Amino acid sequence: MRELVSNSEALCEFLKNMIVDTLKLEDVTIDDIGNDTPLFREGLGLDSLDALELVVAIEKIFNVIIEDENVGKKAFASIKALADFIQEEYRQED
Amino acid sequence: MNNFMEFKDKRVLVTGGTRGLGRAIAVNFAREGAWVAVNYSSDDSSALDTESELKRISPQSLTIKADVSSRTAVEKMINDVLSTWEYVDILVNNAGIIRDKMLMFLNENDWDRVLDVNLKGTYLCSKAVIKPMIARKSGRIINMTSPSALSGRISQTNYAASKGGVISFTKALSREIARLGITVNAVCPGVIKTNMTEDLDEKTKNDFLKMIPMGRFGDPDDVARAVLFLASKKARYITGQVLVVDGGLT
Repeated sequence: MRELVSNSEALCEFLKNMIVDTLKLEDVTIDDIGNDTPLFREGLGLDSLDALELVVAIEKIFNVIIEDENVGKKAFASIKALADFIQEEYRQED
Repeated sequence: MNNFMEFKDKRVLVTGGTRGLGRAIAVNFAREGAWVAVNYSSDDSSALDTESELKRISPQSLTIKADVSSRTAVEKMINDVLSTWEYVDILVNNAGIIRDKMLMFLNENDWDRVLDVNLKGTYLCSKAVIKPMIARKSGRIINMTSPSALSGRISQTNYAASKGGVISFTKALSREIARLGITVNAVCPGVIKTNMTEDLDEKTKNDFLKMIPMGRFGDPDDVARAVLFLASKKARYITGQVLVVDGGLT
């Protein structure tokens, strides 16, 4: 997992696949999700319930904690923001 | 034991599950094949007794002492259950206390303690089990409320407030997680035959009986069956509701 996290491009691709799989987005492919595409409201158009599912999935896969709604909002702004958040959490562990 | 066990291998946590209604709920789930964890706060003797009864029916059962009003105790309890069982299918927030006093004499500790155990405990336990339920997109949370929340009762401003809060919490949470395959409902038991009602004097018992159209106190199994119904697949389209089991009292 650490190897994946250290590679930004691979991490972004992984996260896109994870979002499509976890939320079962049938009409969305990973090519439709840019690294800077907003995930919530506009862009991908996810909602607060989708956020709950993603928080649970991210915490389980990466062993990080998203305790605070504000932290969550910043982390889930885009794929790039999410990747940055995970990389920062791993850096703090080191 | 039933040949067809409706809750075979389902993992159930019942707070306040070693006495009275909680125990009846736990035993009924165990008889239907569930793995049952019961929590209690202080009565070690009842806990041992319940533990041996549950182990006879359900070898995977767990008994955990924890104060549901304490976040750290609840988190440890849920972590212990999850590390043994991996997940929880059904949470029954049954732990509750009363400290009945007329408002003029109700001190802050009486207020805080009842709200902390009855309402905050429901919040803490629900929050602790919700992530594994969301991950599995499946779960049942059943909260115990009271006729006191619906109609009020003298000397129970604290208890009624806590149980009224449980109803509102139930409705709000049910909306938050309905789409994720998790239902959240409440059961409202009326006057049920337990040690508490056995200790009432004859006049009080008769006064209660006159208020109950069915003319009898409920059995703990009457309430347990309502809880099991809400936990079952039959109730998969029911959420945010209060099921009143009181012989017509309210």
